[in-house]
Amino acid sequence: MAKVLVVDDEPNIVLSLEFLMEQAGFEVVTAEDGEQALASVNESQPDLLLLDISLPGISGFDVLERLRSEAATAQLPIIMLTAHGRDVEREKGMALGADDYITKPFSTQSLVEKVKALLSEEQP
Amino acid sequence: MTRGGLPKRQRLIGLWLLLSGISLLGGAIFAAWLDAKLAPTGVTRIALWLGSFSGGATIFLVGLVLERMLFTPLRHLQVQLARLVATPDARDEHPPEGWLKGLGPDLRRVRESWREDRNRLATAHADGARSAARIRQELETLLQVLETPLLLCDHHRRLMLFNQAAEDFFAGNTGLGLGKRLEALLPVASLQQVLSQLPHDGSPRELLAPCDNRWLKVILRRVPGSDGETLLTFSDATASWSSEMGVRAELAAMLTPLRQHTASLTSAADALIQLRDQNDASTSALRQRFERVIHEEGITLGDNVAKIGQLLDDMQHQGERLTPMWSNDFWQALDERLDPEHRLITPVGMPAWFKGDAPALIALFDSLVKHLNTHLPDNGFEGEICLGNKRVYLDLIWRGKAIPEHELAEWRQQPLTSLPLTPSVADVMRQHASDIWSLADEDGVHSRLRLPLPAMERVGAPRETAPPRPEFHDFGIADLPPPDEALASRTLRSLEIVAFDTETTGLELRRGDTVISLGACRVVNARLLASEVFDQKVDPQRPIPPASTAIHGITDADVLGAPPLDIVLTRFRDYVGEAVLLAHNAAFDLLAISHKGVAFDIPIIDTLLISRALDEALDGHDLDSLAQRYDLAFPPGTRHTALGDARVTAELWLALLPRLEARGVDTLEQLLALQANAFDRQDASA
Repeated sequence: MAKVLVVDDEPNIVLSLEFLMEQAGFEVVTAEDGEQALASVNESQPDLLLLDISLPGISGFDVLERLRSEAATAQLPIIMLTAHGRDVEREKGMALGADDYITKPFSTQSLVEKVKALLSEEQP
Repeated sequence: MTRGGLPKRQRLIGLWLLLSGISLLGGAIFAAWLDAKLAPTGVTRIALWLGSFSGGATIFLVGLVLERMLFTPLRHLQVQLARLVATPDARDEHPPEGWLKGLGPDLRRVRESWREDRNRLATAHADGARSAARIRQELETLLQVLETPLLLCDHHRRLMLFNQAAEDFFAGNTGLGLGKRLEALLPVASLQQVLSQLPHDGSPRELLAPCDNRWLKVILRRVPGSDGETLLTFSDATASWSSEMGVRAELAAMLTPLRQHTASLTSAADALIQLRDQNDASTSALRQRFERVIHEEGITLGDNVAKIGQLLDDMQHQGERLTPMWSNDFWQALDERLDPEHRLITPVGMPAWFKGDAPALIALFDSLVKHLNTHLPDNGFEGEICLGNKRVYLDLIWRGKAIPEHELAEWRQQPLTSLPLTPSVADVMRQHASDIWSLADEDGVHSRLRLPLPAMERVGAPRETAPPRPEFHDFGIADLPPPDEALASRTLRSLEIVAFDTETTGLELRRGDTVISLGACRVVNARLLASEVFDQKVDPQRPIPPASTAIHGITDADVLGAPPLDIVLTRFRDYVGEAVLLAHNAAFDLLAISHKGVAFDIPIIDTLLISRALDEALDGHDLDSLAQRYDLAFPPGTRHTALGDARVTAELWLALLPRLEARGVDTLEQLLALQANAFDRQDASA
């Protein structure tokens, strides 16, 4: 069973995403901020990250950049989440190495489809 | 009016030689007849022959003496007088000679008296004008540093004054020029209406007027105590106007559907809560309906929120402080700010336009480069513009590693103390609806910092900034006669005149030769305006013959990319406006600019015809001879350039003007009659 790490400081979103991912058949780990996310990546070795940009402390972009600079996580599929929804953030996220980008509010169905698609690309 | 004076030299000499010849021939025939009839011998025969030739010889000798002692000195006196009228300081090359030698002291006295009178007048004028000049200088300084575009027009709506800011504001609009009508600059009916209804106490009236794809906010005031003069100030209201009518209106319009969708969502959620304890079959279908409502409304709300986000970004991009910038100008300004002594930034790649708040962006990059310099001392930078979709990327490139995101996050909080209200770096980015990030280049050597900014549709480098204007006002314009007064009765001094000249591929205009350069300058109130010029190369759409290049120096390469004649003539017609044309040998230049699309049905003054009319007895009426006669200098390298020759023609006109007035030729009508006369005589003698 593929493992998804959900990183967001908004508990309602984490609750919903955790539920939806489990419903879709994934194992789910959660983190509330950037520090926890980096620790959790090392500990639980997720197959995919749902990473919010606006996190307390280390920002989502910072987490993304650090993961991409490590050989072990350079290829880890990462989907960025943001409530800002500005084109420039999407561009920045993709430039720093994100695999996809989703703006809040989002369609849960399309999110699940994107997660499945990325994981199937990784594990054919 | 000006007929009379010496007959032409060639005619006199011809008459003299003819009379001498006829007399000598007649004498010879007469002597031969007597010789045959009387058959004299010895001294008688010699006396008979000498006596017969004496008439012709006397006429020849008297003519020779008259030419040397009277006619040549008279012609020299005429040239000297012409110079004297133009300026008392003219060279004294030919002092009176021959039988006129006695006039020398009188002529010197006349010259000295006039010079003294002129100097006295100049001193009095200078004394009187000194205080006015000081006030004017202060006014000029004030106007030049004033960032608000400003115009002053007289009660006939002719421009009397404008400042540098107005010139920049209306760059490319040929309607801006001293003496031109306001309608030529702003052809807006409502402006005329507001002008005619302005209150006399100087209280302002506002107007929003379209001009060159912009909306201009115009504030108009009648100058109190003046003769109906009006002061106009301008600002570009396009951004606030389009924001008012565009994004803000769209945002306001989105509020109602948002309320409706939110109401549907909360109602459906409330209904579901109330249905949670009822599990019978009838409520199951209802619950599913409400769940579908929540799902659909959630999606619609999401779409609406995304649209609002886009509109807010657009609104940021339309902000009034975001102005067009040329990337090379930006890098240069940043470089000067970083270190006025050394160049730190080398612009690379293609320059482009973008929109931004220049002072804020310069402060932002200044802060960043100083931050980078602490890690990379003595490092130079490259500045590059990369084009994206609706965006340009301002990239600062250096040799070294990329800046980690956590460092950029710290740097984002840095206050930019040089800006008003000390915003942070993040505030400036928010103002531009942008963000910044750093990436390592693929070459593994360089890294860059990237800032996306709104792109501009504009292409091409900015035009060079105009040098400070020597003239930007002429209050004498208000004293000119109304523009609707018949031109014919206007005094020559009050005419607005455009002197022009053309350079062509050759002289055979009727056989395909055409214009390659058109230059012109403006004379207002009998004053040549140094910077109000028209200077345009023309693509002749045919090769320029080497013989022609040898004269004017213009090659095929020089006219490469220049507009064709019809476009240049349309611009020239705009430049001419309501002025009268002036040219030397106007027939040629008029033929050169005759084009079916552009009409020049305005009077034309020809300095060649005027000079011939004034000094019929003198030879040499070409521009070079006349420039020498009136001491007019061609600045180096300007002879045989269209603008250079147009300027000398204008100066020649100003030298001829007092001579025309001295002969009672005061109005355009009288001048045109004089010209027509000279033309007819030239025609008759041809």
